Amino acid sequence: MTTAPSGFFLPRLTIFARRLINEWNRLGSQTAFYVRALGFVWEAVVRYKVETLRLIANMSLGVGALAVIGGTVVIVTTLTMSVGGLVAIQLFRSLSDVGVQALSGFASAYINTRLAAPLVACIGLAATIGAGATAQLGAMRINEEIDALEVMGIRTITYLVSTRVVAGVVVTVPLWCMASLAGYMATRTLVIFAYGQAPGVYDHYFHTYLQPTDLIWSMLQVIGTATSIMLVHTYYGFNASGGPAGVGEAVGRAVRASLVVAVAVTLAVAMAAYGVSGDFNLSG
Amino acid sequence: MVATDARPAPPATSLPIGGAKLRPETYTKPLREVGSFFALSLDILVQMVRPPLAWREFIHQSWFVARVTIFPTFMVSIPFNAFAVFIINILLVEIGAADLSGTGAALACVVYIGPISTVLVVAGCGATAMCAELGSRTIREEIDAMRVMGINPVQRLLVPRVLALMVNGLLLNAINTIVGLVTSYFFSVGFQHVNPGSYAASLTLLVGVTEVVIAFVKATLFGVIAGFIACYKGITVGGGPQGVGNAVNETVVYTFMALFVINVVLTAVTTKATM
Repeated sequence: MTTAPSGFFLPRLTIFARRLINEWNRLGSQTAFYVRALGFVWEAVVRYKVETLRLIANMSLGVGALAVIGGTVVIVTTLTMSVGGLVAIQLFRSLSDVGVQALSGFASAYINTRLAAPLVACIGLAATIGAGATAQLGAMRINEEIDALEVMGIRTITYLVSTRVVAGVVVTVPLWCMASLAGYMATRTLVIFAYGQAPGVYDHYFHTYLQPTDLIWSMLQVIGTATSIMLVHTYYGFNASGGPAGVGEAVGRAVRASLVVAVAVTLAVAMAAYGVSGDFNLSG
Repeated sequence: MVATDARPAPPATSLPIGGAKLRPETYTKPLREVGSFFALSLDILVQMVRPPLAWREFIHQSWFVARVTIFPTFMVSIPFNAFAVFIINILLVEIGAADLSGTGAALACVVYIGPISTVLVVAGCGATAMCAELGSRTIREEIDAMRVMGINPVQRLLVPRVLALMVNGLLLNAINTIVGLVTSYFFSVGFQHVNPGSYAASLTLLVGVTEVVIAFVKATLFGVIAGFIACYKGITVGGGPQGVGNAVNETVVYTFMALFVINVVLTAVTTKATM
């Protein structure tokens, strides 16, 4: 580093400055990695079609023991279903406290679409596809497979990272559809069958307040978040170090980082999409 | 290592169905996994109440989990609560009840979002770090070495870890709630022009001591269960670098699924009980 010669005096300050510079450099290399990975997306789609298709199949079904329980589809659906159930139980109670439990359908159309489905789908994606990609790439790095690919003259970022980003985003769209449907179904089933509300009342308010533009924004939220999640996870996997234990460390660190990124990006897109006024009319 | 892995696979004698040879192991393996998970959890529970508790390890682990989770807790809790309050306030302003935004924020923070963001942090940050650390010990054969020396790894390593995650679950829920309420306050007052006095006054309208106690009990339970899953996955790691990576990946997925489902069940039970 640039501060190396002054190592013998002001040691604490030097160490602090060096750490600061290292962090700054890491930020820079991370950004460069993301830009390169996104820049090579087109090349990845054109040149490595087969690899991209293989990754899409792989991601939707999961790897190893996760494939046994049904893969990403089942996991994300289960997560959104449980959150849909939560919306039903808690909002029905809160709404009946003020005597307007007839509006449960509205609550489902509003909360599930804008808040629950995109957030939970993103978190599920980070946990399944993202962490899986980190584990795979990390193992490749430790086994020196990535170095071998570089020696063979293959562009590793295009072949390994950009293909994964494309595959992750492509898989996201049908997954988001499944997730939203599962959320609506869980809420509807609980409100109608467990709390005994008339289906007509529920469906009336649900259809009145379900706005198509909200659904489109929700999907854009998920696509934006999925891109950033895949970038974060592939970065940590691509730069894993420290033997087998290092791969575990990298997966843990990637999950922590991508959780933060997922929630932040979802919030940012929501603020941009709905604005302060909220683009919402109760009167219909 | 689990003892069952050491057995060589028997020769394939069963009939090939649909091109693939289906052995009995294909069906019994998931069941075995579930069985050994419960066996290990029972071991941990029994050891937990037996006197010699590894205090030093417990304190070390609590500090470790706290250090790993505290930053993500803030970073998840702030946007999550801001997002929820933003959406609730749009609704409240629309029906002309902006005075009640404190009630909405309290409900969202304590009852809805609090437990979920605790799940995210405990499972996504605490359990993964713990599984990665235990897994690296397993892969370096430190656990086997302990067994050879006659030290019980369950008592010495796993019980303190589960207890540490339990204590941290409780504490993280407190941080989540406080951070959420403060975020909601600044968000409602600063961006959506709610009156600060009415925000503070309406906080306790629907949320009382019962709800807060329920949220803390839930968070403690989440910590225990995440600890069980992380310990089981960490101590049964095998198969080189990919194996450790997969173990951490499976820890996140299983903990998320278990905790989300448990959250719904607990919410249904407590809602029914307090209604």
